[in-house]
Amino acid sequence: MKKTIHITFNHKPFELAVEPNQTLLEVIREKLGLTGTKAGCLVGDCGACTVLLDEKPVNSCLVLAVQADGKQVTTIEGLETPQGLHPLQTAFVDKGAIQCGYCTPGMILTAKSLLDRNPRADEPGIRKAISGNLCRCTGYQKIVEAILFASRTTP
Amino acid sequence: MLLPRFKYYEPADLAEACRMMAELGGTVRPLAGGTDLIINMRRRTVAPEHVVSLGRIKELCSMGLSGRTFEIGACCTVASLAESSEIASEFHALCEGALCLGSPLVRNLATVGGNLVTARPAADLPPPLMAYGGSVTLQSSQEQRLVPLEQFFLEPGRTVMKPAEILTRIVVETPPAFSGASYIKLGTRRALEISIVSVGSFLALESPGGRILSARIVLGAVAPVPIRARDAEKTLIGEIPSRSLFVKAGETAAQESKPIDDHRGTAEYRRAMVSVLTQKTLQAALERAKL
Repeated sequence: MKKTIHITFNHKPFELAVEPNQTLLEVIREKLGLTGTKAGCLVGDCGACTVLLDEKPVNSCLVLAVQADGKQVTTIEGLETPQGLHPLQTAFVDKGAIQCGYCTPGMILTAKSLLDRNPRADEPGIRKAISGNLCRCTGYQKIVEAILFASRTTP
Repeated sequence: MLLPRFKYYEPADLAEACRMMAELGGTVRPLAGGTDLIINMRRRTVAPEHVVSLGRIKELCSMGLSGRTFEIGACCTVASLAESSEIASEFHALCEGALCLGSPLVRNLATVGGNLVTARPAADLPPPLMAYGGSVTLQSSQEQRLVPLEQFFLEPGRTVMKPAEILTRIVVETPPAFSGASYIKLGTRRALEISIVSVGSFLALESPGGRILSARIVLGAVAPVPIRARDAEKTLIGEIPSRSLFVKAGETAAQESKPIDDHRGTAEYRRAMVSVLTQKTLQAALERAKL
């Protein structure tokens, strides 16, 4: 039986009717059409499906949509403002921290959560923070550089 | 792949949750962080008819000192444990265990209670919690009981919990003066890893530089459940700490472990590492005990 839930996605309130067995990831991609959030391993190992749930990065494949009732969810689509891309998005582009791009939305959201808590995060702190987000292209070096760059240049 | 269908409940308090666990017919599963249950449901290894979410029950989501005991609500996330200043100052080994569980993303969902009820031999929180002599409170609509963690685990995936019981909180005594503890996990990588071997050790001294009054050494991933290395502990009691004493304790602990060969490591390697990690955790616990 469907359940009505209220979630604030990217600062906009939504009322949705969902089945209990639908994950937050499925609702984001299939009901809201926000395909920036990627489906990867579906068992919490890869981090491609990372979203911010009440500002904390989580694997959205491991959260039932009904569990997110009453909470705030930020996806990669929520970072851009009328003024342009988020500084982390710009840094990822400028530093070449993107190859196939599949890990990028999760990587950027995890990095955003880190910099929101610690705007001057250092390299070891960055590497620890992104240890749940796997990238199979870059070897992480440019991703770390991009996050470091954003942490140094954001006022 | 979609999850199997189930009926979903969100009790607002513990009494309602206990009633649901007792009265719902068929298969019932409590849901906390979901980092185990949802994966198992996706893999079709479990397909409960009823899922009772514990996430909205406030009394399960707080932690703090109550007299001399520290109480951790079963639904506190592992991240909240790792970030707690009280845990960091009083229960160093528990903080170490929390920080090596899963990944930062998983830790924001996974709960302390969940890491216990799943009864995995390589779980990261049982060794430090047992090193501190921790217990758990089990609640049903009929009764409430306190079970020491040492008696809680039966075999991989199985505990003493009855079907309608809910693990509500974890209780640990505040460690005495001149005591210290340490937890070390050996894996091939530092995140998203399942232990090859893990050891949690606790030492209490009569004074800084004095004799050892009490000791607990807990071994993970080298037996069907986390185990105390009691013979190794006995070698320590009443002795002045020294490197050679810790070597002897490590070798004794290795003999007490019952590891298996699997893709993560051979039994022989695991036994050797039990010895090394026991020495290292005792040394770290000693340094903390002197502070």
